[in-house]
Amino acid sequence: MDFAWSDQQRELLDAVDRFASEQLRYDMIENDRNAVFNHDAWKKCGGFGIQGLPVSEEYGGLAQDPITTVAALERLGYGCKDNGLNFSINAHMWTAIIPLVYNGSEAQKKKYLPGLCDGSLIGGNAMSEPNSGSDAFSLATTAVRKGAKYILNGSKIFVTNGPIADVLLVFASTDKAKGAAGISAFLVEKGSPGLDLSHKIEKMGVRTSPMGEVFFEDCEVPEENRLGKEGAGSWMFTRSMTWERGCILAASVGTMQRLLETCIRYANERKQNGQSIGKFQQVATKIVDMKMRVESSRHMLYHCAWAAGRRKAVYLEAAMAKLQISESWVRCCEDAIQIHGGYGYMTEYEIERELRDAIGSKLYSGTSEVQRNIIASMLGL
Amino acid sequence: MKILVPFKSVPDPYAGAGAAAKSVINPFDEIAIEEALRIRERGEATEIVGVTIGAPAVDEQIRSALAMGVDRAIRIDDSRALDPYAISRILRTLVEREAPQVVLMGKQAVDDDSNQVGQMLAGLLGWPQATFVSKIEFLDNKTRAQCSRETDGGIEVIAISLPAIITTDLRLNEPRYVSLPGLMKARKKPIEVINCEQLGVNVHPLTTTLSVASPPRRTAGTRLESVEELVTRLKQEAKVL
Ligand SMILES: Cc1cc2nc3c(=O)[nH]c(=O)nc-3n(C[C@H](O)[C@H](O)[C@H](O)COP(=O)(O)OP(=O)(O)OC[C@H]3O[C@@H](n4cnc5c(N)ncnc54)[C@H](O)[C@@H]3O)c2cc1C
Repeated sequence: MDFAWSDQQRELLDAVDRFASEQLRYDMIENDRNAVFNHDAWKKCGGFGIQGLPVSEEYGGLAQDPITTVAALERLGYGCKDNGLNFSINAHMWTAIIPLVYNGSEAQKKKYLPGLCDGSLIGGNAMSEPNSGSDAFSLATTAVRKGAKYILNGSKIFVTNGPIADVLLVFASTDKAKGAAGISAFLVEKGSPGLDLSHKIEKMGVRTSPMGEVFFEDCEVPEENRLGKEGAGSWMFTRSMTWERGCILAASVGTMQRLLETCIRYANERKQNGQSIGKFQQVATKIVDMKMRVESSRHMLYHCAWAAGRRKAVYLEAAMAKLQISESWVRCCEDAIQIHGGYGYMTEYEIERELRDAIGSKLYSGTSEVQRNIIASMLGL
Repeated sequence: MKILVPFKSVPDPYAGAGAAAKSVINPFDEIAIEEALRIRERGEATEIVGVTIGAPAVDEQIRSALAMGVDRAIRIDDSRALDPYAISRILRTLVEREAPQVVLMGKQAVDDDSNQVGQMLAGLLGWPQATFVSKIEFLDNKTRAQCSRETDGGIEVIAISLPAIITTDLRLNEPRYVSLPGLMKARKKPIEVINCEQLGVNVHPLTTTLSVASPPRRTAGTRLESVEELVTRLKQEAKVL
């Protein structure tokens, strides 16, 4: 087993480090308060090559393997404090680009992938509904074939990038009687007749990542925009969900690393009772635990990506990585606030925001409970 | 039209104090590279060749230039501390070999601030030159260039016939950011390594740098308890009162 990066990987990762720290530093306090999505930063990331990392070159990507891709996203999370932007990018990559890469027809890939890679198009994924969350396949949205079109009716909730999306991957039932085997997927473009993307949802964290409800009222989708076969929706969803679970929190590992470094600096600088607070065992232990969480998260992320790159089934590894990273991230943020005392609780210190940004990671892409269900089932329980 | 862009590797002028300064492309040369790329993008140049003189360590800056979009690069393998005249003579030989219509380079390097190579190269080649340029346009089917020069008195606009040497000032453009696709493409671009002997030029520096010293560091001050103490110390220690 070799843990070393190749020269080419190192060159690429260094470039991402530089890009994130030099090009993606901006005031986050106001953007977070006003829930501002940074369109310009999105475009910069596209031009630089972030969104296209895992896509093959013929569709405008960089053809990087999973491990290089997650390591690059980790660097993005380290250098760029806009967790909302990072989340929007990750949702776009893992829940829109990857399903298209795996299931798209040649024409669909040619039409959408170059724009999704270079930052000119924004994608999203609409699965969750008001009455179907963890039990996603019990969805109620329907798609009825009518000539060369499908007519969609229903609504979706918690759609990341919904209000700004150019194209959404929408799951709907084409055959209610078949249950999960009757679910199909559609690429629905902004501006489709009967599509309403205008309902924004206000939320606790990752506020700079726009989220919305999506309504379909006799929404017309041309047949050529169906992704994969009729009824293949739940299979495609499960497959891309494995990628999503394994990779969507790559940037959070970088964020945790940054928090760790911030805490070490503060613990050395801040003095109480005539000594650095880092000399108090209870503070030091928190930082040690933080380090343990960052390292174990990183190893599980890399291992999952490494195995995926070797075309191994990573259903279990992805669930474990998702669970480990999300729960570590929240704990790291709590500890970071505690180490910073009252200052950590104040907006100006930019740590309370990190906690608000982290908490959602225990919910999206499958809640922690759902990840534990998967792990238990893989253990034969 | 072929453009030759000589560039130098210098310690990062923007590196924070105390940080181990990594090398970067001299910022004025980076502006020259950017301008060459823009000229090619508007269809007026067909090839951009980068050249630098140095040890293998400068390959990193060569890759940055290729990643920005330079088509191919040449490294003159020489690790000696060469002075501007020696550099100009090497470049003259290379210009004769490559036969570019324009040599575009920074007005000076930020490490030694010599501001000589462009001018000397023009002299050695007997070519016209436009120095400190903040705008370039090509005229008459690319047989002449109109250049705006930044002078103390204001902007001077001159026309020169090609081939020519043009040296760039800060306000010409803002260099692009190296993108990952650029980086990947650069891996496939050729870097030719050649030494002075192979090039048929024999140079030795005429100037020797004796020493380089940084300005003296300011030491930390002391906090005094009272105005009386300040007055006493200004009288007795600093002897300024
Ligand atoms: C920031 C954010 C972004 C999101 N982005 C998207 C998106 O882009 N597209 C999209 O489609 N959805 C998105 N979601 C929705 C997300 O996928 C759902 O919130 C999630 O699947 C949980 O569904 P629910 O909210 O309906 O909760 P429920 O499923 O109702 O769960 C409520 C509670 O019950 C628990 N629970 C449910 N079922 C079980 C079970 N079988 N065993 C044990 N416990 C169980 C849950 O773990 C949870 O604690 C996003 C959510 C968040 C917070």
